[in-house]
Amino acid sequence: MSALIECQALTKAYGDKQALKNINFELNAGQPIALVGPNGAGKSTLFSILSGYVAATSGEARILGYPVGSKELIGRIGALPQDALFDPNLTILQQLSFLARLQGFTRHGSIVEAERTLDLMQLSSIKNERITALSHGMKKRVAIAQALMGEPDLVLLDEPTAGLDPENARNIRKTVTELAGEVTFIVSSHNLAELERMCSQVLQLEQGELKALQAISGVARESSADKRVDYLTLRLMQKNLNVVDKISGLNSILKVDTKQEDEFIIHYDREQNPILDQDLLKLLAKEQVPYRQITQGQSLEDQLFMTQSR
Amino acid sequence: MNTTKLNATRQLGLIANQELLASFASKRGLFVTSIFILIWTLLLFYPIRFSAEAMHNPDMGSMMMSLLGLVGLEPLKNWLLAEFAVYWVVALFLFPTFSLLIAADQMISERNRGGLRFLTLRCSRGQIYFGRFFGHLFIQGILLGLTLVITYLLLLVNNSQYWVDGLKIMPLMFLNILIATSPFVALMSFLSVVMKSVRMATLIALVILSFGGFLINYLAGFLPLLGTLNYWIPGIQLVQMAQTTPSIALLSLWSPLMQTIGFLFVGYVFFRKQEI
Repeated sequence: MSALIECQALTKAYGDKQALKNINFELNAGQPIALVGPNGAGKSTLFSILSGYVAATSGEARILGYPVGSKELIGRIGALPQDALFDPNLTILQQLSFLARLQGFTRHGSIVEAERTLDLMQLSSIKNERITALSHGMKKRVAIAQALMGEPDLVLLDEPTAGLDPENARNIRKTVTELAGEVTFIVSSHNLAELERMCSQVLQLEQGELKALQAISGVARESSADKRVDYLTLRLMQKNLNVVDKISGLNSILKVDTKQEDEFIIHYDREQNPILDQDLLKLLAKEQVPYRQITQGQSLEDQLFMTQSR
Repeated sequence: MNTTKLNATRQLGLIANQELLASFASKRGLFVTSIFILIWTLLLFYPIRFSAEAMHNPDMGSMMMSLLGLVGLEPLKNWLLAEFAVYWVVALFLFPTFSLLIAADQMISERNRGGLRFLTLRCSRGQIYFGRFFGHLFIQGILLGLTLVITYLLLLVNNSQYWVDGLKIMPLMFLNILIATSPFVALMSFLSVVMKSVRMATLIALVILSFGGFLINYLAGFLPLLGTLNYWIPGIQLVQMAQTTPSIALLSLWSPLMQTIGFLFVGYVFFRKQEI
């Protein structure tokens, strides 16, 4: 069985500027995949190549075994393009049902499908509106609805929650999580906490290069030379640097990094002490140090940035 | 059953049909169509009716014939159907002109707002490009058909004895005028791929049509081979067509057909690789 996405020596140049430099990776279908990187890292360019909006300068990208742009991929990929807008003169339902018909739906079936995806995005009430009558968040949700039409195998979401209010952002995350078993999502976002909640793998780009492709849970363990190293992230109710020495004295502790004065990343030998979290709770109780949160592993942000800076 | 097998011709038809819908739904489309209807209403009920009546009237007929001779349209006096004779000349020039305005935005606005991205995952670029062209040609066909029917009604009111002749000439006129208009639509298909604004695309088309011939003739003075480029100026055969009957004008249609294929091909080559 072929990989969901396969990129080989993928390069894209805009004049002298190289937006993507020799990207090689292979992704399989499954849980949502996060695409991260700073502005200008090449995320949108990679999305655009995979969606067929722009051609690669060199190299090859294949989806489901077919080169990008093949007719075999029609209707099998959905995409939320960044900043794309619908025709201001036609209603939402007219446009979505037209797109569904292009995917092979009958006249009646296309209306049913458009209404289904609008309902999925809680937008049934605006189906007869024109796009100009909608808020920014609603426009984005309409664009996500079009990406989900026809039950594609792969959906590419470029910044799906950017500019949305918390409730709508949460609804989109919920939809992605609910559909994750049927569709593979690739989600680009600057909101790492959001990606951490939705995705199980992360593809990191930086200055056009692929920096990492790894599982989000236990990233460092997978990439670390020492497979026994694990992490706990501790957040206290208030600043307390004195507790660091006491934590360092616990069995199996390798190192305690201070992220902020009330937040620490504890490196420990998992094999030596698989229940360090319980020891830590006992210590905090004994020292009467109130805590806010103890998390197994590191946050995605720490995995991506703190591990590299160490 | 909610789905059907994907079929390239069906998708091309869907794109053409949507273009028709979107063109008439847009402000620009409504504006150009309103102007079109207004101008044709005035033309049909005043110049065409008046000229036809004059050609039928023995007193005014001679004056009309001299006038036609002056503007190089003397062969029109041989037409049995005066209404269609005048319509022929007017339509041969007006339809291409209108097509420049109505077909200027086949891609530009949609590309600028990113809307083409919703289409490219669902059909090929060729289907989008050629579908848009056929959609606009279809629009021209509808407008052409409407004005022909109205002219025929005018003929029935004025000279009902020619009703069979009128029916015979209508398909020929339709075919001639539609093919004569097609390179203008194809030129706009090409320009809407390479230009970034609708205004600029229309302006460039007008410059090509107005000054292209002069420029080519000037350059041909230095390099005679360049004179063959005149064959690529849309509408180069229109005057010749206006001076003949629709059945003879069919012989001139190779030129607009060649231009249409040429412009469409070049535009498609650009669009196939264009970043959208």
